[in-house]
Parts: sequence; C-alpha cells; structure tokens
Amino acid sequence: MRGMIGLVVGAGLLAAPLAAQGRPLTTSGVRGLTFGAVLPGVPLVVTRTDPALSGQLDIRGPNRQQILLSFTLPLVMTGPAGAQLPLVFGSSDAGYSESQAIGSQIGFDPKQSFTATLANNGRGSVFIGGTANAAANQRAGAYTATLTLTVTVLP
Amino acid sequence: MRNVSKLTLAALVLAFGVTTLQAQTNSANITATATVQTPINVVGAQQLNFGNVFPGVNKSVAATDLTNGGRFDVTGQASAPVSVSFTLPATLASGANTMPIDTYTGVHADNAAQTGGVAFNPVSGASPTLSASGELFVWVGARAVPATNQAQGVYTASIIMTVVY
Repeated sequence: MRGMIGLVVGAGLLAAPLAAQGRPLTTSGVRGLTFGAVLPGVPLVVTRTDPALSGQLDIRGPNRQQILLSFTLPLVMTGPAGAQLPLVFGSSDAGYSESQAIGSQIGFDPKQSFTATLANNGRGSVFIGGTANAAANQRAGAYTATLTLTVTVLP
Repeated sequence: MRNVSKLTLAALVLAFGVTTLQAQTNSANITATATVQTPINVVGAQQLNFGNVFPGVNKSVAATDLTNGGRFDVTGQASAPVSVSFTLPATLASGANTMPIDTYTGVHADNAAQTGGVAFNPVSGASPTLSASGELFVWVGARAVPATNQAQGVYTASIIMTVVY
C-alpha cells in the first residue's frame, strides 16, 4: 500500500514536465522553392514573401517552445547531364512566422542558425527565397536541389 | 511490493526520458526547382558588302537589301524578349588606310525574308522578341564615305552584335 502511494506520487511528479513538453516536434515541407522559367544570363530572384514561389516549411511542437532553425542549403541545382545552376541565398532570404502568415515574417539569414518561438498554439512556419544565377551559356532543362530545415528544441 | 513500484517508476522515467530525447530535433526537406530556357546563339550569317566604291562617291547599303546588307541570325527561347546592341566601327581599314563608315540602319524580323520587318537604329539598339520557333533575323546597313583621294584597296571592319535576354 505504501508502495502504491509512492507510485502515485511519482507519477504525479512526472506529469508536470510531460504537460509542459506538450505535443512532439514535427516539421514538414509544404511548398518547394520554385524559380520557374530561368533565362540564361539573367539572375532570377524569388523572395520569401512570394506566396506562390517561395519555399515553406511548417513546424508543430509544444506551445511557446523556443526552437533553433538551421538550414542545410545547396550551392547549386543539378540539371541535365549533371549541369549545375548556381543558387544563392541572401542574408534575409529566410523568414519565420509564428502566425504562419507569409505577410508576417521575421527575416533571417538562412546560412546562420536562428532562434524562434512557436506560437501559443505550438505552430510556426519558415519561408525561404533565393536567387538562381544561370550563366549565359547555361544548359537548357530542368534543375533541382534539396533544402533541409532542421529544427531543434531549446532547453 | 515496494521494490516493484520503484522499478515501475524507474521504467516510466526511462521511457519518458527517451521520448523527450527523440523529440528534440526534427527536420524536413523541400525542393528547389528551375527550368532553364534555351541559351541565345548568334551567328554572323551575311557580310555587309559595299562592293566597289569609288573615291569621292559615297555608297550606301540599305538594311533592307537582302543581298548586300549584313545579317545576323539569332536563336533562343521561343517568344522570349531580347535586347540587341551593337559595337559599330567608325571606319573601315585597309592596312594603314581608313575610310569612314556611318549612317547605320537596321531591320529585324522573325523570318529570313524580312517579311514584317521592323526598322531600328543600330546605334540605339532594339528590343525585339524571338519568334514562336525561337528565331530572330537582324540586318544592318550603312554608308561608306570614301575620300576623293581614297587609297585603293580592300577595306574591312568588324560589326559586333550582342543579344541578351
């Protein structure tokens, strides 16, 4: 009986940190970064506020949880026969939005880690733009690359 | 009974501890995509040919002259607007002798027959659009101005056309 009481008390102590932790952290890619048609020799910029072309990733986790956002960014997109199309990210090409609204972002440098806080409902979104620098003699065709966002819960 | 409860509690702590660690980091990917259009290619297809020129007698070749006018052929992305500019010589040269060339004229069209051609001033350049098959034809004319004492010889110079999207 004393053991049962001990267990109940023990379980009660555990419940508090679990409630604070809330739902598990999840990250999902919502929309790719789309440059569309690129003319050789003409840099093409996609802004992070472009609702159709910017990349978007959504995050869910504990309410008001502080998180660290880190991108792994490609230097080039790869196309036909291994042709490479340079891809450049500026110092404000990424943005974070607690409200997940593309028009309400805090810009940050996607080449640097960025600390953000999830909203009261445990949600947040990251948007990203960039520049495709096609050379004047860039080989025609479709080019792709993968961008990875890593989200880390901060203590 | 007491020992069993402690063991259960420890197992719970361990289980929750593992869950917490697993939730610390998460990642996802998106893809960047682009479709590169056809690069521009420019070919000098026909020389600007003044033929025989006599001292003291100016001679002009019109851009509409399909036989003697200079012609550049351009290929690129279908229906894409382009910017055309020129580096135009002020003189033709034959060794150390020179002969002025001026009054440049231009025509661009989406076909080699110059049908529907549009006149322009090569000094200012032009902003035509490639045809639905990605073609553009550009003709250049000019005036040769030989002096009355112009030395005999074959006079040449390079006309450079640059096309960008």
